[in-house]
Amino acid sequence: MLTIKDLHVSVHDTEIIRGLSLDIKPGELHAIMGPNGSGKSTLGYALAGRDGYDITSGEVEFDGQDLAELEADERAAAGLFLAFQYPVEIPGVNNAYFLRAALNAQRKARGEPEVDAGAFLKMVRAALAELRMDESLLKRAVNEGFSGGEKKRNEIVQMAVLQPKLAILDETDSGLDIDALKLVADGINKLRDGKRSFLVITHYQRLLDYLDPDQVHVLAGGRIVESGDASLAKRLEKEGYAFLEQAEA
Amino acid sequence: MSAQFDHLLPDLAGLAEDSGYAATRRHAQQQLMAHGFPDLRTEQWKYTSLRVLEKRELAAQAGAPSALPKRPFDSIDLHFDNGRLITPSDQLPAGLSLTPLAAEHLAVTDEAGRAEAFSWLNVAAGDQAWCLQIEQSQSTPIRLAITTSDDFSTAAHPRLHIAVSEGVSATVVEDHDDHGQGLINAVLTIAVAASAELHHVIHRACHESVWIQRCDVNVAKDGRYQLHAVDLGGRLVRQDHTVNLSQSGANGSLMAVALMNTGQHVDWHTCINHLVGHTNSEEACRMLADGLGVGVFNGRIYIARGADDAHSQMSTANLLLSDQARINTKPELEIYAEEVTASHGATIGQLDDSALFYLRSRGLDAAAAAGLLKLGFAATPLDEMPASALKEWLLAQLRAAL
Repeated sequence: MLTIKDLHVSVHDTEIIRGLSLDIKPGELHAIMGPNGSGKSTLGYALAGRDGYDITSGEVEFDGQDLAELEADERAAAGLFLAFQYPVEIPGVNNAYFLRAALNAQRKARGEPEVDAGAFLKMVRAALAELRMDESLLKRAVNEGFSGGEKKRNEIVQMAVLQPKLAILDETDSGLDIDALKLVADGINKLRDGKRSFLVITHYQRLLDYLDPDQVHVLAGGRIVESGDASLAKRLEKEGYAFLEQAEA
Repeated sequence: MSAQFDHLLPDLAGLAEDSGYAATRRHAQQQLMAHGFPDLRTEQWKYTSLRVLEKRELAAQAGAPSALPKRPFDSIDLHFDNGRLITPSDQLPAGLSLTPLAAEHLAVTDEAGRAEAFSWLNVAAGDQAWCLQIEQSQSTPIRLAITTSDDFSTAAHPRLHIAVSEGVSATVVEDHDDHGQGLINAVLTIAVAASAELHHVIHRACHESVWIQRCDVNVAKDGRYQLHAVDLGGRLVRQDHTVNLSQSGANGSLMAVALMNTGQHVDWHTCINHLVGHTNSEEACRMLADGLGVGVFNGRIYIARGADDAHSQMSTANLLLSDQARINTKPELEIYAEEVTASHGATIGQLDDSALFYLRSRGLDAAAAAGLLKLGFAATPLDEMPASALKEWLLAQLRAAL
C-alpha cells in the first residue's frame, strides 16, 4: 500500500526526515512513536503533500503511484487521508457543505458518480452517531468553536465518510479524554477491513491498546531507529526513549 | 467649480417655473456651482478618483429598454429602467402606494459641501422623484429592479423616498443589473416610523457604468432598519449610506460584502448616527479584492452628546487576493456621550495557507479550495439573514462571482 525508501524531507531548507524507510501492506496498521521534534508530523505533512514540505530524495510509492508526482488533492482522490494534529478552523464554511464537496471532488477525480444530498446525509449521520457527535455540527462552520476533542472526532467523521485506502492519523489521541479516546479507536477499528491501511502517529501507548498495531516504529532524528511489534510500545511507555540513546551509544 | 464636470450639469433654462421642483433645482444648481465636485483633496473622496467620469462622454439619449430581470424569488416589482420608473404607479398591491415626491423631500442641507456634490446634482438634474409609502406589512419582498441597457451611456439621477408606516414591516430589495456605460447618480431616502421594521437588501452587479448612490435612513422610536448588501463590483461604485437613529429604541444594522477585481473600484462610506440614547447599531463590512481591484471602506459611528446607553459594534474584515489589489479601510468612532459601549475592529489579510492545505488534503483542487474559503469569508455578513429564497439567491450570486 505504502512503500517509502530512503526518504529525505526538508522544510524551509532544513532537513527533517533523513533517510526513512517504511513498508505498510494492505490491511496493516502501523504506529509511529518518537520524541518531540523527531519528524513525525513532518512525515504526515510530506505524505499528504503540503507545500513547503519538499521531498528532496528517496521514493514514496502509494498504491502503485509515485506520490511525489501528485498534488495534495490528487493524493486525497487516490485514497490518502491525513487526520490533522491541529484541525484547521474555517469560519464561514459549512461543515456538511465542505465534506460533501470534498467527497464529490474525490469521486469526480476517480470517475465515479457524485453522491446526492440524501445519500450523503445518510453516510454522515451514521458516522456522527458512531462518534457520538451531535448532528448540529453539520450546520456549523468547519471546526469553528469546536472543543479540542470535537475537532479530533470530526477528523474521524471525515475519514469515515471519505473512506480512504490509507489513513495517516497525526496525534489524533492527544487532547482526548478516555471516553473520546475509545470512540476514536472504535471509529478506526470499524474501518479496518483487511484492505485499508493505517499509519498512526502517537506519543502514547494508550491508543495502541485499543488498536492492536501490526508494527510499531520509533522515529528519532528523522529516521526509523527501531521497529517491532506492539510490545515495543509498551516498553517505550515504561522506559521512555532513553534506552534508544543507550542503544545508539 | 471643477470645469471638467461641466458636461454633467443640466440646462435649467427650459425648466418651467410652474414645475414643482423648479425653485429647488435652481437652488441645488447654485450650491453645486458654489461648492464644485469633490477631488482627491476632499477628505471623503480621498481614495476615490472621479477621473473615469471626467473623461466619459455622456450621451443625451437614454438607451434601449431592458426587460425586467427574472429572479428565483417572489417579489412585488418596481422597475426603474435607464433611471426612470416604468412600472405604472397604480398597479401595486394593497398597502403600497407610489406618488410623486413633494419638493421639500428633495432638500439637501446647505452645510453639505463639495463632498455632497452628487446629492445636489441629483436634485438639480433629476427627473420625476417618487415616494413609495408602505402602509401595510408585506410578506413578499418589494423589489426595486434597476436596469440599464448595453447602450446606456447617459447620466440618470433617479430619486426615491420610501416611507414605512408605524408598526409595519417589509423587505425592500434593490436589484441592480447594469449593462451600460453611463452615470447613475441615485438618491434613496428611507423613513422607518415608530416600531416599524425595514429589511433592506442590495444586490448590485455593475459593468462599465459609474454608480454613485446615496442612501439616507431615518429610524424612529423602537424602529428597526437592517441592511444586507452584496456588491459584486463595477467600474466605479460609490455608496454613501447613512443611518440616523433619531429616537430611543431605534436599531440599525449594516451588513455588507463587496468584491472588486481588475478595472473595478468600490467605495462604501457608511455613517451610523446615534442621535439619542437607548439606541443600538451593529455593522460588518467585508471586502475581497482581486487582480488590480480597489476597495474603500470608511465606517463612521457617531454618538451624540447625551446619547447615553447607546451601543454600537463595527467590524471590517478584508481579503487581498492578489499582490496588486488594494483596500483602504477605516473605522471611525466619534463619541460625545459617557455611558455608551462602542467597539470597532479592522483586519486585512490573505487566504490562509493552512486552511487551503486542509481543504486540498480532503480532495478539493486549488481553485475549489480557494473558492470555498473566499465564499466562507464573503458570506459571513449574511449569516444572520433568515433563510429564504432571496438569501439562497444572494449566496448563489456570491458563489458564482467567486
